[in-house]
Amino acid sequence: MEQNTSRTEIPPGTLYMLILKTLTRGQMHGYGIAEHIQQVSDDVLQLEEGSLYPALQRMLIKGWVTAEWGQSENNRRARYYQLTAAGRRQLTTEISEFEKVMRAITRVIQPA
Amino acid sequence: MELWRRLGFLLRRRRFDRDLEEEMRFHLEMKSRKNREAGVEAEEAEYAARRSFGNALLLREKSRDAWGWRAVETLAQDVRFTLRMMRKNPAFTAVAILVLALGIGANTAIFSMVQALLLNPYPFPEPDQLMSVQATHRTSWTTATGYREFLDWQQQNTVFEDMAIVPWTATYTLTGNGEPQRLIGGETTASFFEVLGVQPLFGRFFTEQETGLGSQRLVLLSYAAWQNRFGGRADILGRKVVLNETPYTVIGVMPSRFAFPGRTTCEFWTPLRDDPVNSRGNHQYSVIARLKAGIPIARAQADMSAIARRNEQLYPWANKGWGVVVSPLARTLAKQAAAPLAVLFATVVLVLLLACVNLAGLMLARASGRVKEMTIRVALGASRLRIVRQMLTESVLLSIVGACAGLVFANWLMEVLRKATPAGLGLDAALRLDSRVLEFTFAASVLTGVVFGLAPALYGSRSGLSPALTTRAESATGTPSRGRLLGALVAGEVALAVVLLVGAGLLVKDLMTVLHLDTGVRAEHVLTFALDLPHSMYSTPQRTSSFYEELLSRLRASPGIQSAAAVGTLPMTGGYSGSRFEIEGHPEPADLEGARAQDNISTPGYFRTIGIRLLLGRDFDERDTATSHPVMIVNEEFARRFFPSEDPIGKRIQTRDWRTIVGVVGSVKHQQPWRLPQPMMYVPHAQDPGGFMWVTVRTAGDPEKLALAVRGTVRSLDLNLPVLSMRTMREVVSDSVNGPRLLASFLAGFAGFALVLAATGIYGVVAYSVSQRTHEMGVRIALGASYRDVLALVAKKAAVLAATGVLIGVPAALGVSRLIGSLLHGTRPLDITVFVSVPAVLLAVALAASYVPARRAARIDPMEALRCE
Repeated sequence: MEQNTSRTEIPPGTLYMLILKTLTRGQMHGYGIAEHIQQVSDDVLQLEEGSLYPALQRMLIKGWVTAEWGQSENNRRARYYQLTAAGRRQLTTEISEFEKVMRAITRVIQPA
Repeated sequence: MELWRRLGFLLRRRRFDRDLEEEMRFHLEMKSRKNREAGVEAEEAEYAARRSFGNALLLREKSRDAWGWRAVETLAQDVRFTLRMMRKNPAFTAVAILVLALGIGANTAIFSMVQALLLNPYPFPEPDQLMSVQATHRTSWTTATGYREFLDWQQQNTVFEDMAIVPWTATYTLTGNGEPQRLIGGETTASFFEVLGVQPLFGRFFTEQETGLGSQRLVLLSYAAWQNRFGGRADILGRKVVLNETPYTVIGVMPSRFAFPGRTTCEFWTPLRDDPVNSRGNHQYSVIARLKAGIPIARAQADMSAIARRNEQLYPWANKGWGVVVSPLARTLAKQAAAPLAVLFATVVLVLLLACVNLAGLMLARASGRVKEMTIRVALGASRLRIVRQMLTESVLLSIVGACAGLVFANWLMEVLRKATPAGLGLDAALRLDSRVLEFTFAASVLTGVVFGLAPALYGSRSGLSPALTTRAESATGTPSRGRLLGALVAGEVALAVVLLVGAGLLVKDLMTVLHLDTGVRAEHVLTFALDLPHSMYSTPQRTSSFYEELLSRLRASPGIQSAAAVGTLPMTGGYSGSRFEIEGHPEPADLEGARAQDNISTPGYFRTIGIRLLLGRDFDERDTATSHPVMIVNEEFARRFFPSEDPIGKRIQTRDWRTIVGVVGSVKHQQPWRLPQPMMYVPHAQDPGGFMWVTVRTAGDPEKLALAVRGTVRSLDLNLPVLSMRTMREVVSDSVNGPRLLASFLAGFAGFALVLAATGIYGVVAYSVSQRTHEMGVRIALGASYRDVLALVAKKAAVLAATGVLIGVPAALGVSRLIGSLLHGTRPLDITVFVSVPAVLLAVALAASYVPARRAARIDPMEALRCE
């Protein structure tokens, strides 16, 4: 697959968290999730479809999200993903884990 | 939960695929719309969207992978494809399955034998603690011990939980229960069941106090006897059953699975009846024992050796020179069968290997027909691993189907083995397709599939794009590497066939040699059978001897019968350690072995009837009666050993009473034909009338034709007397080599199979090379090569392949012949006839196999061959 070098890679291990967080706003289709992350991050974080859909499949398996077909804003059939209770719990864990790591990294790279 | 979701996916994966596709289409559309809105041209917008989306197919596959069913789906796909291929090539499939069925089936059957004999011979608790305790002597071949010595061992040892005598079996007649029936029962010590760690199904065992000379008439029934002889009646305990006219009380029934190897035909057990005092030196029992926990075998051995040494000092006349050996019971049993079993197992493994090589060749040849298919697959993006995997799926699936068919063959083979192996090995019960054997079969079939599929798979997957593009250029010479690989495979087949044929050749030649060894008798035109006079009818010696006298005189008077006589132990039906005796005027021998000979009973005319030469003195005749002077005849071996420089005639020998030697006869072999004859003493039947005798009849013509008349004569004397194991003497001799014959026929069968495989392999390679070289042959013929030139050219290829195989096979066969060496009795392992004729046969077969393709090559029409290009 081609790699667009101008994009910033999503840091490893944070993809689930970003998707889960995005879904707290309500149910959303895959394209919407990718757009939302891109917009909110001011185009810094670009979600590749190549990682988005496999990730969504894995989240379906884990039971963090459920999927349902519905009507899109432009009257097309689209698959909407919705957070489950397990997904919410997972989000909390991931965020606290992420913050812990971030604090640690910040401490390390701050000038002494 | 997660598993359920995964399973749900598996069931609805078609819908999943549709969903994912639609989802992605939607994504793309949204993306290109966004690009358009940003002012990009419609076409360009969609293209950009696609480009940033990447390989949609791959993406979909990755999404699917998330569910973790990829491996299963791939396998299912490959299996479906393979089944389609199998249906499309029924001939190839049938041949492959047949070859595999024979190869894997044979392995399954022999493995079940290995398992029964070597891996799991004793179905008893803590079988590792079970020991065999055997007597040994420098010059005696018996490992049995006397009852008195057994009691010494049992009482004095400190290392065993307990020791027991392996049931001493005999045939009994059961009466008072419908028709009189004959069944085998065993006398044993009370400790036998305790040592083995078994419990009766119900009832009890007999006790130590109930064993011995005045033992109680008690009987424990086997489950089979209880069911078959007594209808499984619930009130069997305490009932009286009449065995050999003596009433016994039933005290218990054993569970159905109880069977002691070597005594599996036993239908009941009674307390041992033997003299605890006067049985010293009377070697007749096998002994087993259970080690105390934590005692090493070496310590048990030391303890037992000390007892044996003590006995040597206390009772030198009987125990001098006798040691004792403690060894694990399982190994003792395995030792008897280890060498033939190793040969059998090696044989079937070689056969399976040969089948693999053969099939690899077939698959390889077929792979060349599938180059196009592979090329298309590679072009469509299939990885090499994927292709190898698919081809291996094909071979393993073939192999598994072959194994299933092989189970049928294995079942048949096991039936043959069960019938042909001596009952002493106890295989009848142990040989069956249990879960462990099936596991072995499955493992063997998968391994086989990988082994024969790997080379073709690697080869086939390597083809890549080039062959399809360059087919023309290559056909002039054939693909060189494929030709080489095929050639190597066929040479390997020939080598394996050489090894198998040499093994089979040695065993068959040995069997022939052994069958023609001089047994000391003239076996032609002799019919034999046994009679066992029941005590109730023939209670006195007079009755017994007059019955036989009357029978023999009636037989002699029958038409077609030249002579008739009876003997206690027939040649070639087994022997025993022998009895002790004393020679008048000779110093007392240092130990029992110094004066031990087998004893036998014969009627007048026996030696003439069976064809034993009378060397000195006279045969028994009507002068030797119950009241006349006690006499005996000894054999040549006896005279040679005990009267090296004297005339034995007229010398007096004491066994139970003093007897005068009146004759010396030729020695005969009483065990297998390759065992040397033992010293033997014959006493006249009239002076020692045994109820159990072998009757021998010398006939003018075919002895089998007289069988009916002879039975009629017996019936005319006693309507109820069964005629036992009637055979011609030829059959008796031939039956004594049943084991070697079974092994030889197995090997001969497999070697024949190997020869056929090698021949088809050679045929295949030569035919392939001819088809590849049509053009070349055309040119040669056009340039003036004669019919014979082309024939020779093609035959040379076959000859080179066969010669290569022979060059590899002969050294390998030399190694194998050493393994077989211990099984040969009349042939040297490096038998020149076998080692010369086997390569010659293979070369001849190779040339014959190449004849058809060679003729095809020689008849090529040069015009047509060249036009083909």
